[in-house]
Amino acid sequence: MAHDGRMKELAGRLTALDPDAGAAVRVIAYFDRLAETRAGLEALVRGAAVLAGCPARLVDAGRRVRVRVEPDGARKDTEAPPDADWPCAALEPGGAPALWLERAGSEPSVVDAVILERAAGAIRLVLDRTRGRAPASPADDPALVETLLDATVPEPARLHAARRLGIDPADTAVGIRALAPGDGRPRILPARAGGRPADAELPAGRLGVGPAVPVLDLPDSWAAARTALRFTADGSPHDPGPRVVYADDLGGIALLADLVAPGAEPPPDVRALEAAAGAMPGLLATLHAVAATPSQRAAAAEINVHHSTLQDRLTQAEHLLGWPLRTPQGRLRLQLALTMRHLARS
Amino acid sequence: MTQVPPPFDPELAAALELIKDVVHPGLTLDEIDAVRQGPGIEMLAQLDLTAGGFFEVEDRTVPGPENAPEISLLICRPAAPSTAGPRPVVYHVHGGGLIIGNNRVGVDVPLAWAQALDAVVVSVEYRLAPEHPYPAQIEDVYAGLLWTAEHAEELGADPERIVVAGASAGGGLSAALALLTRDRKGPRLIGQVLMCPMLDDRNDTPSTYQMAGLGVWDRTANETGWTALLGEERGGPGVSPYAAPARAQDLTGLPPAFLDVGSAETFRDETVAYASRIWQAGGVAELHVWPGGFHGFDGFAPQATLSQSARAAHLDWLRRLLAQ
Repeated sequence: MAHDGRMKELAGRLTALDPDAGAAVRVIAYFDRLAETRAGLEALVRGAAVLAGCPARLVDAGRRVRVRVEPDGARKDTEAPPDADWPCAALEPGGAPALWLERAGSEPSVVDAVILERAAGAIRLVLDRTRGRAPASPADDPALVETLLDATVPEPARLHAARRLGIDPADTAVGIRALAPGDGRPRILPARAGGRPADAELPAGRLGVGPAVPVLDLPDSWAAARTALRFTADGSPHDPGPRVVYADDLGGIALLADLVAPGAEPPPDVRALEAAAGAMPGLLATLHAVAATPSQRAAAAEINVHHSTLQDRLTQAEHLLGWPLRTPQGRLRLQLALTMRHLARS
Repeated sequence: MTQVPPPFDPELAAALELIKDVVHPGLTLDEIDAVRQGPGIEMLAQLDLTAGGFFEVEDRTVPGPENAPEISLLICRPAAPSTAGPRPVVYHVHGGGLIIGNNRVGVDVPLAWAQALDAVVVSVEYRLAPEHPYPAQIEDVYAGLLWTAEHAEELGADPERIVVAGASAGGGLSAALALLTRDRKGPRLIGQVLMCPMLDDRNDTPSTYQMAGLGVWDRTANETGWTALLGEERGGPGVSPYAAPARAQDLTGLPPAFLDVGSAETFRDETVAYASRIWQAGGVAELHVWPGGFHGFDGFAPQATLSQSARAAHLDWLRRLLAQ
């Protein structure tokens, strides 16, 4: 029998743990035991709630799973959205948050972090076991997908992986695209007759899309997709540009990718852009609109300003950059500078 | 006889991970002092006895058995005036293997019932073994019941509606109290709630062997508790049913019983057997065996699903009993 005051709080009942190292060890033992005994989702969410001493919530929209448990162990689901300030965890690296501890207003403790990590890991295993992977597309087995994308893997192994993923390598009507997300693991997407996928079929965030190819050419599609990814932007005011770029659309522009090394000293025109953007708020969005639309009127409409306002801004920008923006050559130079800015990003 | 134990419920297995450093299953006589001073069972004591002001709380010292010291009763009465006349009483007997604990231990359970049912809780303190062997415990418990029945009016309570309830050793003493009040024609109990009760000093059912070394109260601990109570008489031919209710030959004429127990604990088989024998004697009993429950699981891990089910079953039974 231990006579330790801290243990007293742990042992009398399963109450919220003190944030100390011993507690983290106990959290790990607790969730390991739950996983070992194949406990269900509610037991895992309840474990998080009880050990953290606040409500815990699991939401996995793709699998239609929604579980919320209060610290007294009672299940009380809600449709209300989670608070952005709550400590949270994704079920897989790079994924969207799926598990929350409803504890606002303080930095998450080490114990909270351990609870989230262990609970999320155990929940992922249960979901994979009981609900299948979602969405149920071939693109979801990472090991098989990576096999297809690796040119050093012998061809029979790649063909076998393709069949495991439900792709018939002999069906010439089906091309496969490799997808390179900015955030997350590689995916593949079958494309009927070279057609383009709907937006809903694509993962969120920045994405490079390789050309539709036969199965054995997927390593090339993957290389092209990764190159295309470098041309993407997150679409924010600080990083205007396309979120999804198809390698098919790049043509000769793709050659620029070899000329600008990620993370290296950017070319002079990119440095000029950065300096001008620092001096003039909203400049990047303005320049992107000018480069990406067919006319200055369309550009003004794109960024919701009057035509004359746009002219004033361009005059100022030309002064900061040192080259004209309203001539064909000037617009090409601007397009190249904006593109190289993406490529230079590490 | 198989020695393979039934698996613990997943949540309860995880809960055991958290308490295993403080509560170990194989308590021996040498360790009794350390356990009494340690955090172990004390942690099962309710901290806020008023339950946020719902109850008025009082410790009363009342006469003990003849030629024995006075005893202490913890009395918790709803602070609000009763709207439906005298209240029912839950007469609570704490657990602790007959060797540890006090009248706070486990009292959160009857307090929760009393909040839901508008009842009075009286929790009795009794002398512990081995310093005080049998029959000190049951006589103290009986004396406390006598006082409670005689002073019911003063407590705003109905002496005709007293339910005895206890867990573990308290469950065993509750069963013994039901036998004793029947035989002495003492205060009439209207029900007995026997939660994972400690009923049989012989300590030789299949579940006692099956669960050795597991959970929070195994065969070794059980032998310790019974030996503290009965000394060398333990397991012998002359043990009184008021010490070990499983020894009773006659289970007729008892108040309706609620019994529950985990499937993964020492007391499983003696609890099931006691319920069966009540039915065989023409009595009324409700029995729940909670799959994968360890001894006292709903006290140690009240948040677990199985604990919630068990506690709901207790309350449900009491509601039906008191509605009659």
